[in-house]
Amino acid sequence: MMSKKKKMTYYPGCSSQGSGRHLDESIRAILPDLGVDVVDIDDWNCCGASVGNIGGGPLPNLALTGRNLALAQEQGNQDIVTGCAACYLNTHGGNEKIKADVKKRRDVNDALGEAGLSYDYDLDVHHVMEVIVNDIGMEEVEKQATNKLKGLKVAGWVGCQTVRPFAGTETGGKYATYEDPTFLDEITEACGAEVTDFAPKTNCCGGSVAVMKPEKTLHLMKTILDAAVESGADVVSTPCPLCQTNLEMYQDAINKEFGTNYNMPVVFPSQLIAVAMGKDKEKDAGLQRQTIRSKKLEDMAK
Amino acid sequence: MSEEVFEHKPAAYLCGGCGIKDALDMDALETAITGGMMVSNVKQSDAFCSGKGLETIKSDMKSGDVNQAIVAGCSPRVMVQEFNEVGGQVFRANMREQVIWQQPANNEDTQALATDNMRMAITQARKSEPPQAHWDGATSLKLLVVGGGITGLTAAREASKTGAQVVIVEKTDKLGGWAGKWSKFIPENAPYREPEDNPVPALIAEVENDDNITVLFDTIVDRTEGGPGEFSCRLKNGSGTNWDIYGAVVLATGWRPYTSEDQKKFGIGETDGVVTDIEMEEKLSSGDLKDVKNIIFIIPGDSDRMVYSSGVSDKVAIKQALQMTQADPDVMAYIIHEDFRSHGLAEEFYRHAQEKGVIFQRGEVKSISSDRTVTVDDELLGLEIPMSGIDLVVVSTGMVPNSTNIDLEATERGADQLKSDINPVAPIFTVNGTQVDEDLAETAADAEAEETIPEGGPLLNLQYRQGPHVPVLANGFADSHYICFPYETRRSGIYTAGPVRRAMTASEAINDAQGAVLKAIQAMRQANEAKAVHPRAGDLSFPEFGLDICTKCRRCTVECPFGAIDEDPETDYPVVNPTRCRRCGTCMGACPVSTISFKNYNPAQVSDMVAAGTEECPPDKPRILVLACENDAYPAMDMAGINRLEASPYMRVIPVRCLGSVTLLWVKTALEKGYDGIMLLGCKSGDDYQCHFVKGSGIAQERMSKVGDTLRSMMMEEERVQVNEIAIADSERVTQILNNFGKQIEDIGLNPFKGF
Amino acid sequence: MTVPMPTSSRKYDLNFARWVRDNVAGGDKMNMCMQCGTCSGSCPIGTEMEDGPRKLFMMIRAGMKEEVLSSNSVWECTSCYRCVVRCPRGVPVTYLMQGLAALASKEGYAPKVENNYFSRYFWKSVELTGKTDERLVPTAYFFSFGLIEGIKRSLGNLKIAFNMAKAGRMHIGLPHRIKDTKGLKAILAKAAQIEDQKS
Repeated sequence: MMSKKKKMTYYPGCSSQGSGRHLDESIRAILPDLGVDVVDIDDWNCCGASVGNIGGGPLPNLALTGRNLALAQEQGNQDIVTGCAACYLNTHGGNEKIKADVKKRRDVNDALGEAGLSYDYDLDVHHVMEVIVNDIGMEEVEKQATNKLKGLKVAGWVGCQTVRPFAGTETGGKYATYEDPTFLDEITEACGAEVTDFAPKTNCCGGSVAVMKPEKTLHLMKTILDAAVESGADVVSTPCPLCQTNLEMYQDAINKEFGTNYNMPVVFPSQLIAVAMGKDKEKDAGLQRQTIRSKKLEDMAK
Repeated sequence: MSEEVFEHKPAAYLCGGCGIKDALDMDALETAITGGMMVSNVKQSDAFCSGKGLETIKSDMKSGDVNQAIVAGCSPRVMVQEFNEVGGQVFRANMREQVIWQQPANNEDTQALATDNMRMAITQARKSEPPQAHWDGATSLKLLVVGGGITGLTAAREASKTGAQVVIVEKTDKLGGWAGKWSKFIPENAPYREPEDNPVPALIAEVENDDNITVLFDTIVDRTEGGPGEFSCRLKNGSGTNWDIYGAVVLATGWRPYTSEDQKKFGIGETDGVVTDIEMEEKLSSGDLKDVKNIIFIIPGDSDRMVYSSGVSDKVAIKQALQMTQADPDVMAYIIHEDFRSHGLAEEFYRHAQEKGVIFQRGEVKSISSDRTVTVDDELLGLEIPMSGIDLVVVSTGMVPNSTNIDLEATERGADQLKSDINPVAPIFTVNGTQVDEDLAETAADAEAEETIPEGGPLLNLQYRQGPHVPVLANGFADSHYICFPYETRRSGIYTAGPVRRAMTASEAINDAQGAVLKAIQAMRQANEAKAVHPRAGDLSFPEFGLDICTKCRRCTVECPFGAIDEDPETDYPVVNPTRCRRCGTCMGACPVSTISFKNYNPAQVSDMVAAGTEECPPDKPRILVLACENDAYPAMDMAGINRLEASPYMRVIPVRCLGSVTLLWVKTALEKGYDGIMLLGCKSGDDYQCHFVKGSGIAQERMSKVGDTLRSMMMEEERVQVNEIAIADSERVTQILNNFGKQIEDIGLNPFKGF
Repeated sequence: MTVPMPTSSRKYDLNFARWVRDNVAGGDKMNMCMQCGTCSGSCPIGTEMEDGPRKLFMMIRAGMKEEVLSSNSVWECTSCYRCVVRCPRGVPVTYLMQGLAALASKEGYAPKVENNYFSRYFWKSVELTGKTDERLVPTAYFFSFGLIEGIKRSLGNLKIAFNMAKAGRMHIGLPHRIKDTKGLKAILAKAAQIEDQKS
């Protein structure tokens, strides 16, 4: 529970303008009521995702993060929060690298100097899940979730980069374990929904490899869908925009490949919170943006 | 030895505490004692182990009315200190752990068990006299240290700190040994990551400036007689010999390099730039490694080398690789191994080497070419990889223990002894060509032992009946009880320390020397007071021989695990050396005519106790005699009581000093007195023995293997006598074994002699 | 990269391990690998790899430069970081895989590897606009396999694209751009220059 409002700088990330719009919209809808005001990094750029290191090389990739950090610092020096797993991984990881390594710090600032920017490395970068768990707290979520999602069965699928490799570290907030994170289920419960017995919590969907070579990763997503269906879930909840998109959009391909008949909605926990807080089902929760829709959830939404 | 006749003045103390009085009829017990057991002085209390109760015993002893207290209460394993101080002999009847904690309360069989336990304890007292010191003359408190390497130097310095006089005998002309030559040491201090400076030069200076320590160079021990407190040693150097008396001996004779045929194929000494790890130390000391940029350390996988390395040379490879990368960060150091052992704190050392860029590669080295291309069969890649551009190849060696003096010729007598020492299943051996037991066939283990006899002559040339060597294990390491008494040898008062005992690092040898020297000092001091060293530390009793009926069969002289008994060269009668004796009673168990006895532990006494256990047995009830080693089996049974494991009420348990002390007389008595089964419980025997007296348990098994004949001659089933090995933690197992045995006996049926 | 890649005709070149140690991100930790295989066993896509990370590290130590840089393994990594959090010796496996991929890309190994194309188009998009365009990267990437293959692969995604557009999750129109594309370009150019200068 937060006594006074916290201010943070928000880093939406590229998916917020495309495949992950409903993640962005639902985060913006719930954070202020939960006590966190956010201001966007002005003119933010891409984080580099999973392949920036390979495509651009280590230092240019780090410079992308450096620019975002420098802009955030210029803007008011408040800690950064992001909802995207890859943005968190790169920005948090890059920030820690810059903090730890004098040489990298100098190199990054040399590059930033070209655009008149600099970063003096005193910001922290958090994931929105970490902010909800550590700063806001489940009690507050539960208190504000007045429109309880009674009877909705939710498989909590954390995915990879939201927790790995930083969630267990001191600077990563120490809010989750790697093998059995529970925060997602706690959010589900705080919203009044029911947690299903879902084992592959931190399984990988294939990430960017799924985008490039879906045939190599369909079996990974099938494992996740199998377990979700078997657990009796109405929806899968995941905090990661790439996970959400992959698992949702490849269900046709999976059905074709494996002869299954899956039609499992995949939503973000921030959407669940938005619905439970009685927010608008489209404007705030972005439920219309699902390509596989959950009637059960939509019926509960206002 | 006192000639006075000992007058027995027993009193029974019935403790009702810890729930005993709620489970037993104490008054009935008292009546049984004053009646059939004929002890009129009986007292009851709720706690004899403390306060008023304990005071009662003390004042009874002080008054002179009582000199033997038979306490019925807890196990003899507990409250030892309290009862040791009452001022007379104390006998304990176990009513708590092995009676009320394992049996139903207020039950006929439970009461019978308690009564029999009391009867056995009173019988024990009746056949016991207080032991008296066998020795009251002055004994030597001077320590002889053999070997002037890091172990010997440390032993000498530590002994000197206690005020002892020390003589170091060093066979070369300088101190320091191998360790003195090392460039750096494997770390022994937190955080165990960096090679440390060699402490030997400072240690040598310390020893040289110590007035308590005398160093004799170019000297060996030529002959040793006597025992702890009275070792008479003849020292020999180029100019002659000299006799002196020592209280104890620390053997720190160290090791010599091991190089196998397998290793020679790598081209050590032939290919330029292929050296042993020992030669590498010299190079590191002299700094002759400027041009070495790529270096490979090979840890060969042959199993003999592992025995002689025991992880030491693995750690040495880490150290040398680290030294190389520290001197020049551009050096690439590879450690190629089939197995790698850096146990204990060396894990940190290993990790540090990895952090510093040392590469560990698992595989077998197939060949090394003349240009030092090392071809490795990489097990993890499944490829043969030629590693070229190597400037130096270092091959790990090992440490062969100097448990013999290889400068001396081996003797036939010595070889005979070593052969029987090495064979772990030879409880009764041949010495001096005298084969004691003619039934004993040559075994495969004997043949194997023949192959592993270390070369060389004896280190101390002991003038013992059992031979001149300090006993060794296979591979030549000095025999020691590796769990409980690692520095002990099978020659009392002689302690091994350092790599003669097992392959170890110099730092470990320092610890070893510190441990061994404390044991040596204890041995000297105990000998001074005529007391035993552990495991029966402080025991004054010693074996007495009734030579009038001795048949000179030599069993006692040959079977004593510690070589404490010699033979009179003129008469062939056994001669005991009391300060060498550990009081295990193996001689007593060996004697076919039961003429060896201790004042407080003897064949007749236990025989009577056995009989006392069935004296009041109804003809329809089974009785099983359990002779349990007091070191492990008996405590395990107590533990079963502590864990409240249910046991048969028909067991009558007698603790023995060692299974080796069990004489066939007791077994015979038991069968005659109507026991239906006999169970002997001892420690693990064999090459990984846990017997506190090394050989006792194995010898007992050998003896009992022949009981079958006796049983058959009495028309009884062989299964009635069994032997089992019990470790101290086996409380559940021992209960199960005994209960199963009880059932087995029930199936066979009761002893036909019962009631006769 | 700081030191030019050592060139050698040898199949097993011990200098390669040293070079990786000094020049690849996380390479200094590669020595900590004790070959337990937890990484390969944890890898969701290990079955798709010719050599899992464990074996790859062993190959680096053995100096198998050609095999390491042309192995498909470094390209299959999904960056799930399971190996990183599970490694008992603290080897940053994922980072090392990325570092090796970058190295292979730079050294001209495995140009036909799909992820290599994807990474390049991704980076081009970032350099140009400061953002990832979720349409252009896959499309350009698919067409990098040739016109026919490109159409085939794009058509495979058509239904998905249609659904996404319907849900308002596919941006229609010009790519999003950051305001200061000029500044970013300068930053990235400088960063690339610093990295190259170190050689």
